[in-house]
Amino acid sequence: MNSWTMQPANDLELAESARWTSLNRESGLVSTLLHGATWGMIKSYLGLYHRLRIEGIENIPEKPPFVLVSNHTSHLDALVLGAVMPGQLRDRVFPIAAGDVFFCSAWRSAFAAKLLNALPMWRKRCGAHALQELRRRLLDEPCAYILFPEGCRSRNGRTQPFKNGIGMLVASADVPVVPCHIDGAFESLPPGRWAPVPRSITLRIGAPLRFDSVENDRLGWEQIAGTLRSAIEQIGEANTECQVRI
Amino acid sequence: MNEIAKVRLFDFRTAFDHPVTLWVTVAIAAALVVAPIIILALSRSGRINGELRKELFRRYLSWLVMVPLMLGPVLLGAFWTIAGIGLLSLFCYREYARATGLFREKLLSLVLMLGIVAVTLATLDHWYRLFVALTPLMVAVIAATGLLADRPNGYIQRVGLAVLAFLLFGTSMGHLGYFANDTNYRPYLILLVLAVEANDIFAYCCGKLFGRRKLAPNTSPKKTIAGSVGAVILTTLLVVGIGWFLFPAVTVTAHGINRWQQLRYLAMLGLIISVVGQFGDLMLSAIKRDLGLKDMGKLIPGHGGLLDRFDSLILVAPAAFHFANYIAGVGLNQPVKILTGA
Repeated sequence: MNSWTMQPANDLELAESARWTSLNRESGLVSTLLHGATWGMIKSYLGLYHRLRIEGIENIPEKPPFVLVSNHTSHLDALVLGAVMPGQLRDRVFPIAAGDVFFCSAWRSAFAAKLLNALPMWRKRCGAHALQELRRRLLDEPCAYILFPEGCRSRNGRTQPFKNGIGMLVASADVPVVPCHIDGAFESLPPGRWAPVPRSITLRIGAPLRFDSVENDRLGWEQIAGTLRSAIEQIGEANTECQVRI
Repeated sequence: MNEIAKVRLFDFRTAFDHPVTLWVTVAIAAALVVAPIIILALSRSGRINGELRKELFRRYLSWLVMVPLMLGPVLLGAFWTIAGIGLLSLFCYREYARATGLFREKLLSLVLMLGIVAVTLATLDHWYRLFVALTPLMVAVIAATGLLADRPNGYIQRVGLAVLAFLLFGTSMGHLGYFANDTNYRPYLILLVLAVEANDIFAYCCGKLFGRRKLAPNTSPKKTIAGSVGAVILTTLLVVGIGWFLFPAVTVTAHGINRWQQLRYLAMLGLIISVVGQFGDLMLSAIKRDLGLKDMGKLIPGHGGLLDRFDSLILVAPAAFHFANYIAGVGLNQPVKILTGA
């Protein structure tokens, strides 16, 4: 006989508004329905307005845990990566969003949490503690993250150096990291613009990389950040013909 | 829609037609005015310390919000009463699901919530046969829904949790709503809720004054036998007292019951409310202990979750309903199948 396996919600002790910004947030039925509706709309928007094309969709692992990383030039990037996630993983995929932008007010937190299922990353005071919590959730639950290792949007469209945080998340753990390259998001909605222009966007998804044999220390993190950055640049330079439409 | 049904569902001008509704509303309003003065007086005279005063004020403020939310719909009309109880059931389910982990089973949650909505609609319609049928049918629907994932591991657990959830928040809470199909639903519901809440307070006070031996130390360490017995006596007296005025001699004799029989029936009702209410309280304590939780939620400051407040009412509702239904009938002279047509 199995013992009791069902556990109370991890965010049970929190008030509603505190749940929105919590890294332990778990979705209920209403949140799930909202996420499904929101991402459905985002998907149709990207398909119709930006004629989103995808290459290498088969590279996305079937089951969590995994991490999707890509270059970051626009707010559209997270929407593009989130939109290609399979529907049944919707509640287990969390875009990691800048806390100081997307979780700075109650309204924005509710939007990011209830509609996009985003988790906050506080960039200024992002200690090892928050990253450890994210890493624990990634491995224990397990779940999947969408994140941008550059830490902020590139102001000129070129890929900036990667921060070590991605290394701290996955070093010496058996988690596939999927490098992606997004083309056209910068032209559609660069930093500073408010309304997107209808330029076409292409997402190229590379083969997953694993870092289970990399040491979980500063050297290892730097190695992971470097490896991923060159993988993403390589995918971007390949510039292959994309056929698959969303 | 029939004119009689329309008046019952929506006419708030009949709110104080029954004197008991008026008295109790005035008494509750007076209690809400007097309570802070008593707390302040106790604090001034040094009988309670600052910590306890703050806690009491927190609870008082919660009551200040809860009383209008509970009393308001009942005074407005049966439609708002039934809809309000349906909403309360849904929120109670949400709390239970998050505490037990059942919320991770999204499909079961969806089916359960639709089931609670169906109970609410059957109640609004005054369609007793559908209301009764929904319980066994929902058990079948839940058992079938649990199969859809094709994941036998943990099947008994998730289906068992879901069936218990429907029995508590669909069926049992539904009986509370079904009282609103009676012409005199306002005083009935007010008496019921008042007696259940008073039962809690009586048990607390009697326990503080006379309590020594524990009732069930593993389940709920603070409850005492003296508190429990005291609550049974005082709640029964309260129900007999209010019930004597609630059912005047004319209506009682119309049912072929004499005044002595009425006294006996009221004492039985008081006993049922008190005993079953205390079991409801203990049930939630056992659920919380089993899950390792202190409170079911954070919704009501000073009280905990919704279930921490309404635990006793959940089990009392069907017991009191079927007692009343057996003795005198509930909603007998009201039109049935108001929405779906007879």
